[in-house]
Amino acid sequence: MTKLDKKDINKVYLRNIFGLQWGWNYERMQGLGYSWVMMPVLKKLYKNGSEDMKKALRTHLGYFNTSQPMSHLIIGADIGIEEKTGMQDENAIVGLKTGLMGPFAGVGDTIFLAIYRTIVFSISSYMALSGSPIGLLLPIIGGLLLLWVRYWFTNIGYEQGTRLATDFAGQMKSLTNAASILGLTVVGALIPSVVAFTLDLKYKMGKVTLNVQDQLNTILPALLPLVIVLFSYWLLGKKKMNSTKLIFVLIALGMFLGNLQPILAWFGGLI
Amino acid sequence: MVSVLIIVVLSIYVSIAVLDQISIQIGPYSPLFGGAITGLIMGDLKTGLIVGATLQLMTLGVATYGGATVPDFLTGSIMGTAYAIIAGKGAEYGIGLAVPIGLLLTQLDILARMTNTFFQHRADRFAEQGDANGVERQNVWGTIPWILSRVIPVVVGLVFGQSVVNAINSFIPQWFMLGLKTAGMILPAMGIAILMRYLPLKNYWPFFIVGFVFMAYFSKTFSILGVALIGLAMAGIYMMFGTKQAAAPAAAGTTTDTSDQDDDDEVEIDD
Repeated sequence: MTKLDKKDINKVYLRNIFGLQWGWNYERMQGLGYSWVMMPVLKKLYKNGSEDMKKALRTHLGYFNTSQPMSHLIIGADIGIEEKTGMQDENAIVGLKTGLMGPFAGVGDTIFLAIYRTIVFSISSYMALSGSPIGLLLPIIGGLLLLWVRYWFTNIGYEQGTRLATDFAGQMKSLTNAASILGLTVVGALIPSVVAFTLDLKYKMGKVTLNVQDQLNTILPALLPLVIVLFSYWLLGKKKMNSTKLIFVLIALGMFLGNLQPILAWFGGLI
Repeated sequence: MVSVLIIVVLSIYVSIAVLDQISIQIGPYSPLFGGAITGLIMGDLKTGLIVGATLQLMTLGVATYGGATVPDFLTGSIMGTAYAIIAGKGAEYGIGLAVPIGLLLTQLDILARMTNTFFQHRADRFAEQGDANGVERQNVWGTIPWILSRVIPVVVGLVFGQSVVNAINSFIPQWFMLGLKTAGMILPAMGIAILMRYLPLKNYWPFFIVGFVFMAYFSKTFSILGVALIGLAMAGIYMMFGTKQAAAPAAAGTTTDTSDQDDDDEVEIDD
């Protein structure tokens, strides 16, 4: 059997970074990209036009979808197995791919999409709001670190092969929990700082003018943002609700709250 | 009238950005960069930073979990910034426009992902003959629908820029723009609510409260970065002490896993 060298692994790594989703489509999602990423290895292991190559292409064009950073582990393991056994047991390879892509997608989306993105971009956006573009460097630095992690993933996948499924998935669980704690702390902090809504409403009683927002602040600062977030959270739990519909609900709420003073004045005028 | 050079440069930028969005996600894909770079190119970095950062914070939780289509806030950010600068009406005007533009462009994203199915089928035919190079090319072709789905709206939007802005100004009443402005302030609640749905809030809600309280009461002296460090410390404490206790019941049964899956069922918010 042909042996793979460092160069082949690096080629696969580079292709995985850039092109896994170029051909993303509704039918097989990352399937087209997966075959493209694997191609340097496939070309080395199987002869063009041979039965093995046909089998390999068909296998790797199949349905595949997972979190991009985590895909490096799966693809690394895949090339490790094919280097040893080739296309003799294609079911084992399909089993590895489909067995790992689900759980890894959950872990990867939580850590790399939800938590990582929230922290990095909320800090850099904050700096941008005060007029400083320096914060834009933060996602770039973080991204470079992630590229290193992904390189490490490719190699660990390649070395561990199938053992990866049991060993690594177990460790990932507690790491995901720790990351969730960090993520939820930041998410809680985002409410008062990001939902910058204050009620611009004054209530006149004889000679005394009452500022409603000041009254609310004595109960709990950022009470209204918290209520709006919890309301959105509750709505998202509803069966027929999704994020796009929620945007329209919140725009309608904004229309109402933004014009609250004239609306109340109009009602007052009626009475 | 926006100069041809600006249109060309922004088209190149958005092409790079969409490829970034589906690959390494190092920065250009984000609404923050979209606003900042458009502002820089059109000579008003400050407006760009504010539009971009506000949109970024608004959409923190909106990510393509599992490859779902989400509103195209990148292009929305570029167009919103461009229109704000053309009209000279400040960042809030741009933010108000960016949201509906992003929503509208969801359709083009879906179209691009559908078009790529065509290349997937072509790849299948090459695979039948074992033609590795043929399969390989199809994934590269896949970049074209992605790029066109972003470049076309940017070019059309900028070529008709001034007349679009005039039309908006003459048709949209004052109260509507005021409502959009308020909606812009409360829309970040959506992103936060999505994150709360996505992260295991039910298991780790105390950390969420800690984060909220710090920023609600001490927002003048504290920052998101500070809260993130507190979250990191608590995650570290969990790794030291929490994992040992959690390991025992997890080994005894798979009850913890099933409760996690219950949480996941609620997350159907991306379509």
